[in-house]
Amino acid sequence: MTVFFFLIKEGFKGLIRSQYAGLFTIFIISISLILIGLGFVISRDMVFAVQKLKSQFELEVFLKYAATDREIEQFYAMLDSMPEILHASYISPDSAAKRFKKEFGEDIYSILDYNPLPPSFTIELKPIYRNVVSVEGIIANIRKNPIVDEVKYRRNLLLTLEKYQRIIFVIATLVFLFFTFVSIVLVSNSIKMTIFARRELISTLKLIGATNTFVKVPFFIEGALEGIIGAIISCGFFYALTYVANNFFYHFVYYKIQLDLKFYVGLISLGFLFGLIGSLRTVGKFLGKIG
Amino acid sequence: MISFENVTAIFPRGAGVKDINLRVNSGDFVFIIGPSGAGKSTILRLIYMDIFPDKGKVKVYRYDSSKIKEKEIPLLRRKIGMIFQDFRLLNDRNVYQNVALSLYVSHVKTREIKTRVYEVLNSVGLGHRVHYKPDELSGGEQQRVAIARALVKSPIVLLADEPTGNLDPKVSAELMILLKKINKEGTAIVMATHNYKLIDYIPDARIIQMDKGRIISIS
Repeated sequence: MTVFFFLIKEGFKGLIRSQYAGLFTIFIISISLILIGLGFVISRDMVFAVQKLKSQFELEVFLKYAATDREIEQFYAMLDSMPEILHASYISPDSAAKRFKKEFGEDIYSILDYNPLPPSFTIELKPIYRNVVSVEGIIANIRKNPIVDEVKYRRNLLLTLEKYQRIIFVIATLVFLFFTFVSIVLVSNSIKMTIFARRELISTLKLIGATNTFVKVPFFIEGALEGIIGAIISCGFFYALTYVANNFFYHFVYYKIQLDLKFYVGLISLGFLFGLIGSLRTVGKFLGKIG
Repeated sequence: MISFENVTAIFPRGAGVKDINLRVNSGDFVFIIGPSGAGKSTILRLIYMDIFPDKGKVKVYRYDSSKIKEKEIPLLRRKIGMIFQDFRLLNDRNVYQNVALSLYVSHVKTREIKTRVYEVLNSVGLGHRVHYKPDELSGGEQQRVAIARALVKSPIVLLADEPTGNLDPKVSAELMILLKKINKEGTAIVMATHNYKLIDYIPDARIIQMDKGRIISIS
């Protein structure tokens, strides 16, 4: 227990003694976590917006006029049994005429003497099938039925949404990887400077019989502490950002930033990992060169 | 306790020691004397296994240089006390903390650390300086802190590499008297020095004279 507390204390003292190198690392970690966090929030909310748009996506299946009630019923049953379909609703020619009147303000019978609107279905797909590849497969399947005349959907809208979703995902991943890499490299460099500044301590410890673990542990604690402090600063930034954005700017943009406890715990865990990994990769490499 | 058997250790740049055979028993006071570059410090480094022989072997306590594993070196060093010309104290901590560090690395309990550190500091006459930082002390006092740090772990041997090199004659004399007392209490001492005058303080010491990496006489 004595050694355990001693090493913890040494880790804390080391952070205070490292001064500028430590402050610099904390600063870099907090900036990295802020950018990673912003990347996460932006991509999460954009993906959410894209998904919301996609949820309004529908397939329209127009049937041949000659389709009998029995054929339509059988087709409805087939749609119901398809695993990709969330919901299908039938629109009879009469309902279509009523909808026409509601949307355009004119009665179709007063224009044409007959109802040209065919029976149709609107189909809502399950979220995972709301992409061009799945949709094309589903349409091909539906078209096999001889009573189907035409299937329409907003292909271009779907393609555009998919493209943006991919771009957001790639950018968010790149931002995350880049700042993870930058943080770890900078923590490593800071610990390298610290090791160099404390070479006297390290060589003395080795001379008096300290094991490698005894020498290394305070550096790991120091790295992890730098990471956690950097993360706490970034948490403060996000707390303030959420407060200001949601209280002062909501009425202009109608957008609320929503961050839960998991987000803050995630940031602190990331900071801890950045600090620890940064010190692990350096201490192992450079400690052997001293003493 | 310490033995060298046909030891040769050559550095890449050429200096080192050749064909060394010697033995140090418990309670011995051994001077290794000779000019700069004679190989005195190399002998000490071979004892605390900072370097290893190219030929032959060094045995210290139960550790053999040809068989010792890397993780056993700290255990060997806990059995050896070391003092140097430049003291090698840590200026960011006080006298107490410098001495206690030796015991922390050996996993000694806090209460025992406290007792032993105060005991050893009193025995070297520094009981009143525990809260001073090394750079607030004189050279002689700093070397006594280094001795306390070496002795606090009750070593089987104290290695001293030019311990009076940075001290004036009066302080050097005081230090030699202290080392004599420590030796009389049972700790073996191996001291490397180029100062022949120091031999006079320990009349019954064994003297190993070196030159150009070889032992030229043993008495």
